[in-house]
Amino acid sequence: MKAVCWMGKENMQVQNVPDPIILNPRDAIIRVTSTCICGSDLHLYNGFVPTMEQGDIMGHEFMGEVVEVGPGISRDKLKVGDRVVVPFTIACGNCPSCKDNLWSCCDNSNPNAWIAEKMMGYSPSGLFGYTHMLGGYAGGQAQYARVPFADIGPLKVPEGVSDEKAVFLTDIFPTGYMGAENCNIRPGDTIAVWGCGPVGQFAIRSCFMLGAGRVIAIDRVPERLEMARAAGAETLNFDEVDVLEALREMTGNQGPDACMDAVGMEGSGHGFVFAMDKAKQFLHTQMDRPIVLRQAILACKKGGTVSVPGVYASFIDKVPMGAYVNKGLTMKTGQTHMMRYMQPLLERIERGEIDPSFVISHVVSIDQAPAAYRTFRDKQDRCTKVVLKPWESAAVA
Amino acid sequence: MNLLNSSQPSSGTGLNNFFSSKSLLIGAAALMAYGIARRSKTSMALAATGGILAANASRSSSKPQAAHTRATFLVNATPEQAYRLWRDFSNLARFMRHVKSVQVQDDTHSEWVVLGPMDREIRWTAEIIEDVKNERISWRSQPDSLVQTSGSVEFQPHRAGRGTFVTATVRYTPGGTVSKAIATMLGKHPQFMVREDLRRFKALLEAGETPTTIGQSHGPRGVHGAVEQVLFRETGNLAAPQTAQVYSETA
Repeated sequence: MKAVCWMGKENMQVQNVPDPIILNPRDAIIRVTSTCICGSDLHLYNGFVPTMEQGDIMGHEFMGEVVEVGPGISRDKLKVGDRVVVPFTIACGNCPSCKDNLWSCCDNSNPNAWIAEKMMGYSPSGLFGYTHMLGGYAGGQAQYARVPFADIGPLKVPEGVSDEKAVFLTDIFPTGYMGAENCNIRPGDTIAVWGCGPVGQFAIRSCFMLGAGRVIAIDRVPERLEMARAAGAETLNFDEVDVLEALREMTGNQGPDACMDAVGMEGSGHGFVFAMDKAKQFLHTQMDRPIVLRQAILACKKGGTVSVPGVYASFIDKVPMGAYVNKGLTMKTGQTHMMRYMQPLLERIERGEIDPSFVISHVVSIDQAPAAYRTFRDKQDRCTKVVLKPWESAAVA
Repeated sequence: MNLLNSSQPSSGTGLNNFFSSKSLLIGAAALMAYGIARRSKTSMALAATGGILAANASRSSSKPQAAHTRATFLVNATPEQAYRLWRDFSNLARFMRHVKSVQVQDDTHSEWVVLGPMDREIRWTAEIIEDVKNERISWRSQPDSLVQTSGSVEFQPHRAGRGTFVTATVRYTPGGTVSKAIATMLGKHPQFMVREDLRRFKALLEAGETPTTIGQSHGPRGVHGAVEQVLFRETGNLAAPQTAQVYSETA
């Protein structure tokens, strides 16, 4: 089958690899019909996340049709022919974490838990198409994918819901939604969202769904700010204004009730500290550039909440801990607990409350994936979200 | 020998063993090869680290020591369920990575087959010396065995009913040549071995299978990928034994 393989920093290649097979009783094999490039794939593309292996199959956002199920899965849960969307986190469904509804912290899905324990103390769940520290599972940017614990994760998609609407239930819609839920929104609250990429876009819309009165969106890419305004957000371009001063003005010296970092480890900004961050990241003395996190902590209202759906991989410097402590802030984070959100959000899509396909800018065949990675990374060609079609060989749109 | 009184985590010895084992030399060599192949500043630093480790490993003696270690995991199951899975010793090979098979002979005796260095099979007979239902099982190899080994497992309910604490203790004593070989193999990082075995026991009990990526599809690994596979112990991350069965069913 064709698969997008990570062959090194900034080197994605479409390779012919063996089809996946069932390895464990609760596995299933999915024939992938749609798969996306995620912003967090760009961290791997840029070579910032340790424990990748040359030859790894990329991709954690995919959906498709079940073509094979393992003997450990009962037919009423999943059967051949089901059309499903697959969550990017892998969860067993019966460990203390899963039972606590903390699905992305599953105890049993990471075969390389020992690596993660060295770095984080305890291991979160395994992920598709990500680093070996998080399991090293082959991903879904391929024609077929193996899905472990397939009786827990995959959600059946009704016929009436197109791939373009359903495919974002794999990651970014629930991730944006959990980012908003983590803001502890009370009716009428003002929420500042850094990053208007795909997750930011869903976060902005989710904030309004959860009762926010105002959302202030921060980015510098014109078409992304435009998309945020279309959802009803006010926007700030950090190339043009001092974000902290602007937020102070807009909130009457109170600060936003909650601040969301939907950017993560590769934030951009200005000034001396940002230059230092870039230098340190280049020298690998600091993996992550936490410029947004610092701003979010400084901007947040006293007693407010900082929500971090953005991806951080390791260690960061110069976090304003004094501000965090003295203002009595709360920080809420985590990989998305997918199984909490997929069904309710599918229902919102079915009711027509949201059409997630608004975020798509490119639909291309899998053969064009390497170029699409570059376009998406460089935000060229008004690129906001790339959907790959593994079974089509020419450009689709 | 009272296992329970003498049991204490041997992280100190474990570390010493770790830093003196031959595997470290191999690992250090891999690190050096990897670092040099990458030709970047960080990789050169890695290569240098590899060199230092290699020098360290070759200096220190590689005398095998008794491996004696303990690990505890909280599992989402009752003591009854945990006891039942462990008490049937034929299950041990499903979560103990180095154990190829355990054949139950009668209520207290079982024959263990362990894959030693160079995939050599090593056998011994173990007898259960203590069996308190739903609380504790202890076993040891028979006195005339080639390998002197003993172990025990305890099941303690969480006070607030959040599952069961499972504590496993394993001890290998170097004796004859075979025993030495085993101790060298298992002693290279005993804490790691026991903890990973217990982690798989928890997965087997809670999820019905142990997670694996062995045998999954991937692109060409090349030199980098192959070295990285060793560094992340992916090649040593053997497929769970139930896999073979499923393989044959789907193949």
